[in-house]
This record gives sequence, C-alpha cells and structure tokens, in this order.
Amino acid sequence: MNPEVTDRNAVAPEPPRTLRGYLDGFIADTLDRCTRCGQCYVACPMVGYAPELAGADPAAVVSGLLPLLQGAPGSREAVGWVKVCTQSATCIDACPEGINAMLMLRVARMGALGSLGGEAQMKATDDPLFFRKIEAFAATQLAPEEIEAWHRASAQERTAS
Amino acid sequence: MSEKVVFWYGCNVVRHGDIIHGSIEILRAIGLEVAPVGGPGYCCGTTKDANLRAADGMAKRTVEKFNDLGATLHADKVVTWCPSCHRHMGQFMSGYTEPQQSMSHFTQIVHAQRERLRECLVRRVERRVVLHKHFGFREVAVNPLVEDLLRMIPGLEVVSTDSAVPGHMCSALVSVPQALKDVTRGVCELARSSTADDVVTVFHSCQRLLCGLESSESFRVINYVSLLGESMGLDLVDEYKQWKTAGSEDEVMDLVGPERVAKLGENFVREQLMPELRRAPVK
Repeated sequence: MNPEVTDRNAVAPEPPRTLRGYLDGFIADTLDRCTRCGQCYVACPMVGYAPELAGADPAAVVSGLLPLLQGAPGSREAVGWVKVCTQSATCIDACPEGINAMLMLRVARMGALGSLGGEAQMKATDDPLFFRKIEAFAATQLAPEEIEAWHRASAQERTAS
Repeated sequence: MSEKVVFWYGCNVVRHGDIIHGSIEILRAIGLEVAPVGGPGYCCGTTKDANLRAADGMAKRTVEKFNDLGATLHADKVVTWCPSCHRHMGQFMSGYTEPQQSMSHFTQIVHAQRERLRECLVRRVERRVVLHKHFGFREVAVNPLVEDLLRMIPGLEVVSTDSAVPGHMCSALVSVPQALKDVTRGVCELARSSTADDVVTVFHSCQRLLCGLESSESFRVINYVSLLGESMGLDLVDEYKQWKTAGSEDEVMDLVGPERVAKLGENFVREQLMPELRRAPVK
C-alpha cells in the first residue's frame, strides 16, 4: 500500500456529536498514553482520606483504575481514590504524558457509577430534589420577573420584553 | 455602545441573591450590558455523572440557548460565575457541541476592567480580611485576581497568606466529610492567625458551607462580591447567612416570612430546606 495515496484519501474524523462519543475519544487516548507510572496518584492531596489507600502502591492503583474507563470493574483501591477526588487538579501537572488526569478520574467516576456500561461500584449521591430546591431558593432570592426572564424566557422573548 | 454579555451564574448560587445581584451591578459598573441566565433551565449537566444521557441533553440544550441568545442579543461572550459550570463547559460541553460564543470567568472580566470598577468603589470598608482559597480551579487564577480586586477597596486591609485548600470550591469536599471538617477548622485557624475581621470567600458554595461559622466564631464570612458591593454603596443582604445563623427553626421561618413560606409550601420549607439551613458547619 502506498501511504501517500492513503493519506490523500483519508477523511478527517467527524467530531463527536454526543457526550459518550467525546468520552470514547478521551478514553481511547488515555488508555493509549497512560504508562501506569502512578505520578498522578502521588500528587493527589486527597489519598490520605481513603482508608483503603493506606500503603497502596501508586502504579497499582492507577492500573486498577483504568478498567473503570472501559466500563469494567476497578480495584477496591481505585474506587476508593475516585470517591475522594475533589478536583484539586494537582494530578494534571504531575502526568509526564500530558494526560488530563483529573478528567481521567472524573471519567473513572462515571465508570464506577455504572454510566459507561458496567456494573455500578459506587452509589450516586444525587439529591432527587436538587432542582426543586434550586427553584425554591431562587423564589426566595429573585423577583418573579427576574426568574421569568433569566431562567425561563427564550432569546426572542427576552428581546420582546 | 456598550458590549453585551451573557452572564451565566449557574444553579446553586441562587441561594445567594446578593451575589447574583451584586455581580450584575459590578459587570454594569465596568460598562457591560448584561443578560443574566441561570437556574435548572441552563444547567450544564455536571451533576449527572450517573446519567450520561441526561448530562448530554442538558449540555446541548444549554449551549443551544446560549447560541440563540448570542445571535439575538448580539452578545458574543458568556461570562461564567460557577467554577463547576466553567469547568464542565471547557472539559465536556465544548467537546461535542458547537458553542458560538467565547467564555470567560467573572473574575477575569472584572479584573481586566478593574480601573473602571475602581471609580465606583467610593465607600471605605474598614476591615482586615483574609481570603479563603482553593487550589483546584486551575482554569482561572481566581485567587490573585480576587485579591487584586479586594486591594482596590478603600480602607480594606488584605492579609496575604499562602494557605489554600484542595478542591475547586468547598462543595467538592462534601463527599469527603473529614476533609470538609479539616478545611472548616482550618478556616477558623486562618482567621485567628491572621487576626482578620472577615474571611472572604471566592465561590458561592464556600459561602454556603462556611457562613454558619458566624454563629460560633468572632469573624464574618463574606463573599468578595459583597465587599465590592459594600464599597460601591449597594444594599446587598446575604439572607441565606441570616437563615443559617438563626437560633431556631421558628426564627428561620420568621426571617423567611409568611409570604415566601406560603409560596413554597410550609411543609416543603420545613422538611426539605430546613435540614440544610439548620446544619451547622462541623469543625
């Protein structure tokens, strides 16, 4: 095969149109580049808050985390790390491969919640009344006309008013 | 003609109408025409990690609304308040949607035009303050930007410290109770070691989770927007803090007032909102 011909005929990949499509690209890239060195784990200021991480090997924790990205079970230590991630971002600069490790943890969290296709390994903490409470507090803090204009009106309605 | 911007304040900040109204006045003071948007109808979807289909739909709907607003109002910029929304737009939403507007954080916009704001800071605020900082919002260096803004307030003394805590804001720590407890205790120690009158919060969730400290501590917990507003002569009241520091459930009901209680439903207020309002910070 002549590589020049192949390149000339290559079609640029379509940009993702869904969150899942976007995540699939990130996951593939992360799995391709991650060397399991564990530097992201070493840089994390939160690992002391997870009892299951006491004495854990950084490289092993990261190795146990990567399956979560594919919707497969992660290790107990990896799920423990996911649970204490507070998006402190120190892991990003620590990665020698330039992976956004904070995003990797976030996507691993999605995997641990069962959103990427596998069994859930942790419970979601969503408040079923989250939005109702938002509306309630808004009703105490904003005037009715502000709520109508700022929360509900379409662009055309805003212009008309 | 003044530049028009969409001010996307987010969801949870609606507990602090003073922050929303103060932010809008600050943006106006630096010469912007502001179209505020927020609430569930403009949710970024960041809370929906357990339901990606919902997260996907919410993000697409919100970006479509921004694009409509931008085209209709000729506003080519979205100004964010919430670091979670800002991060979610940068990390996820813009990866599979087509936002037509640029995005900047409130602190960046205000700091860039701070000399215009300075003209409006007419009242002295004789307080000694220390900033409660997080180090997780790496997208925007909010801490030095906010400290610069605070130093413009006449009479205000800003104590410099290197102290900063994990997470992009305090709500990130809620799922790790011991960490939130450590941070809360650290805030009290920071205020004492700085001999500060006020601990100043950058984000709404820090204000929400820390303002109850005023019940037991001698320092105030105040958002930087409120301090800027005070110097501008704005009448901004943090009612949420008044409710959090009320002495009893009955006092909370009195402060909210019968009209608002009736609008929300007394049972809903007592059963769904009261537990949050009566929960004191643990340190």
